[in-house]
Amino acid sequence: MEEHHTEHYTEHHEHREEHRETIPLKQKFEKGYNKNYKLLLLIPAIILILSLIQLGYSYSQNGDFIEKDITLTGGTSITILIQDSEISINQLSNFLSNNIGDFSIRELSDFRSGQQKAVIVETVLGPNEIRPFVEEYLGYELTTENSSIESTGSSLGESFYNQLRIAILISFILMAIIVFFIFRTFVPSAAVVISAFADIIMTLAFVNVLGIKVSSAGITAILMLIGYSVDSDIMLTTRLLKRHGETNKNLFGAFKTGITMTLTSIVALTVALVITQSFSEVLQQIFTILLIGLGFDIMNTWITNVSILKWHLDVKNKGNN
Amino acid sequence: MAKLNWKIWLLIFFVLGSLLAVFPLNFTKGVQIASIEDDSISFEAGLRQGQIITKINDQTIENFEDYKNAINSIFPEENQNEIPLIELRINTDQENFIFETDEKLIMGLIEIFPEENKPEDENGLKNEDLTPIAIKINSLNQNSISYENGLRENQTIISINGQEITTLEDYNRIMNNLFPNENKTKLTVTTNAGEFIIFTNKIPKITVKDIPRTRIKTGLDLSGGARALITAEDKELSRSELNDLISITSQRLNVYGLKDVQIRPVTDLAGKNFMLVEIAGSTPRELEDLIAKQGKFEAKIGNQTVFEGGEKDVTYVARTGEQSGIYSCNPLQEGGQGCNFRFAISLSEAAAKKHASITCELGVNPENPQYLSEKLDLYLDEKLVDSLFIGKDLKCSETTQIQISGAGTGDTREQAYDNAQKEMKQLQTVLISGSLPFKLKIEKLDTISPLLGKEFLNTIIIAGLAAILAVGIMVFLRYRKFKLSLAVILTSLAEVLIILGISALFNRNLDLPAIAGIIAAIGTGVDSQIIILDESQMTSLSLRERIKRALYIILGTYVTTLFALLPLLWAGAGLLKGFAITTIIGISTGVFITRPAFSEIVRKILKE
Repeated sequence: MEEHHTEHYTEHHEHREEHRETIPLKQKFEKGYNKNYKLLLLIPAIILILSLIQLGYSYSQNGDFIEKDITLTGGTSITILIQDSEISINQLSNFLSNNIGDFSIRELSDFRSGQQKAVIVETVLGPNEIRPFVEEYLGYELTTENSSIESTGSSLGESFYNQLRIAILISFILMAIIVFFIFRTFVPSAAVVISAFADIIMTLAFVNVLGIKVSSAGITAILMLIGYSVDSDIMLTTRLLKRHGETNKNLFGAFKTGITMTLTSIVALTVALVITQSFSEVLQQIFTILLIGLGFDIMNTWITNVSILKWHLDVKNKGNN
Repeated sequence: MAKLNWKIWLLIFFVLGSLLAVFPLNFTKGVQIASIEDDSISFEAGLRQGQIITKINDQTIENFEDYKNAINSIFPEENQNEIPLIELRINTDQENFIFETDEKLIMGLIEIFPEENKPEDENGLKNEDLTPIAIKINSLNQNSISYENGLRENQTIISINGQEITTLEDYNRIMNNLFPNENKTKLTVTTNAGEFIIFTNKIPKITVKDIPRTRIKTGLDLSGGARALITAEDKELSRSELNDLISITSQRLNVYGLKDVQIRPVTDLAGKNFMLVEIAGSTPRELEDLIAKQGKFEAKIGNQTVFEGGEKDVTYVARTGEQSGIYSCNPLQEGGQGCNFRFAISLSEAAAKKHASITCELGVNPENPQYLSEKLDLYLDEKLVDSLFIGKDLKCSETTQIQISGAGTGDTREQAYDNAQKEMKQLQTVLISGSLPFKLKIEKLDTISPLLGKEFLNTIIIAGLAAILAVGIMVFLRYRKFKLSLAVILTSLAEVLIILGISALFNRNLDLPAIAGIIAAIGTGVDSQIIILDESQMTSLSLRERIKRALYIILGTYVTTLFALLPLLWAGAGLLKGFAITTIIGISTGVFITRPAFSEIVRKILKE
């Protein structure tokens, strides 16, 4: 019984506030929104076009839309575990650049103490070409006790990449078919699919801008993104299509739910990213890509999808009247 | 107390089931046998992998430390080298063997009865006063000392050290006389499967580990080990070629002494076949050679092949004892050290005949008249390993015993010794397993250190709990109801638990992609819970109606995500399968078990 009271109290409280100041503001906002929501579509449209240009540019530069890491191009990654003394990345880098051409070096450090935990050397070369040089620099043999070595042949890397691309394509098509099946009307379904598409394209472009080299795990993150993106879109569309009542009211309710969903995911992913980043490149990349994707998803759900859907409903309502 | 809805019961049932699957109901304190040699005295006594040792003699064993202390006190180090070697002269119907060993031989023996006196007559009546006339080897472990010295199944043992043997009793009496138990330590090992008594003067050939606290298995990328993805070079592997490849590879790794190996065929989205080899724990550096070398061994005189590796030509390869080992190490002229190894092999009759016919055509070496004019050249993968002189008395002889030799070099004597040993082991391995019919290519080779994994698992658990807690806080900020927030946290935890439980039940390894999958599933789970919370608070409809609508949305997103994940089961040679599987388990659990229960819980909380 007690809680019942509290609930009433909260509602009351909100009402009072709305009466005092929000209502005129809200009405003003609503009026402006009703007039200009189609214009809002320009923002995602411009970003989408810029993203497509970015991807096209990378394609013309590197022969591919994204920068791939060695799990997709083939190559070797050596993770040297730090045992007693830290390894100077600069010295190792100088030493290696005298001997081999293309390589990159990073370090993993503990997220609390900042202590160096591991040094990662990545190269497109095979393990037997890079290993002797690293061993020469370190002065000891690399064994499973002090290091991890992962290598992928170039043809396998390439075929992984092709298959994962096909996997994303198939996933996307299956998703689209199901969305159309659920809503059975063209424009709302297309709006969901367009939002998901925009999410992926913008995320990929942003990943390129940040200079992240995408691994096979990163591609699974893109797949996850399809799921996360469609989640809030389906919720929104169901609320607006299958529910009676004023579009804007439904929209506001859906917005509250959807933004809670996305923000909750963002907070949880950020926490997980901060804790795991010093340990695993794989999880770090998955979380980063998802965070970027969810950021764009806020825009694509609440501007792209909403505007198209509202437009559709307005046209339909006018026709009915 | 209000009656609980069946949906909540279903959730409770799954949570309890998963708890049982993840945490075994086992309160025994002790150590578990992680591995045991099949030909050891301990194995013969009845100890097996997986048994839990609770007591040795009178010392209670609760953990690994206890086991180590008990073994060290029973077998003090100073006595380790005093195990006497006993010479055995075994005469069988086929061959005679002489070798030394410090423990009695372990093999399956059966008694043979004279033809007219079968142990059972035609009426099925047992003839009681039958005396066997001989004993025959019925089964023999390939890693045993007996096997390595040439004993084989179906050989009949005639005598041991000059004493004739016709019955099992004879055999046991002789063995017990040669290896008396009085000189040995009696070990009484108490396990969960009973008590076993072992007489031995060596530390039992078993490895033990603390009893695992959970049944969750972590993948190689967390627990450490090696993983190799292999195809043929320049050709597509057919299914049957792949199976041949797998059987040869498992034999090689087995001969090499690698345990905890998993080899299985995988097919990727493009229909290409691979062999996936996974080895847990630390891996030898020569793994690459072992799995990818074609291993074509040929012994040639001139350009005629006398014999090749594999059981067709080579019937036996000595791997221990006096017939195999490193016999000399010398400084080399060009600097460094070299060590020479040799080991004996037995040839099949056909190979021996070939040897005879080829050597018949040879003359005598003009410079060195003890030997024949041509040498026996040993090639491994078309590379000359060694050239052996052939003694002139071997001309035209159908010899079945051949000595294989070779050398290893290194900067120091130790390096040379190690290399010689490696070379010898590899040569023995290919001689036993034979060669692969095509060249191989390692497409992917990962060797992952187990060291990073331990801390890593803890970090993932902390990250997971922190993320779920963060979700709880977000839900509280939005709805201002502690109970709802708690319901979301508990539901998410239940989902994680059920995913882990199902993975443990189906023996699935949890690797990094699988963990990413759990995160994805929990993420979509929380999203759906928020949809339920919001839908159920819309006051214009009845509560039941509202929740029905919520479930409609959830089912829609479920089906889309499910289908989006399907291609991943095959893409990339299935290396990301773990992700797809855990996500599918997770979202299915969500839709069919946790979410219906969550809606009920929410309904109860809101009704109050």
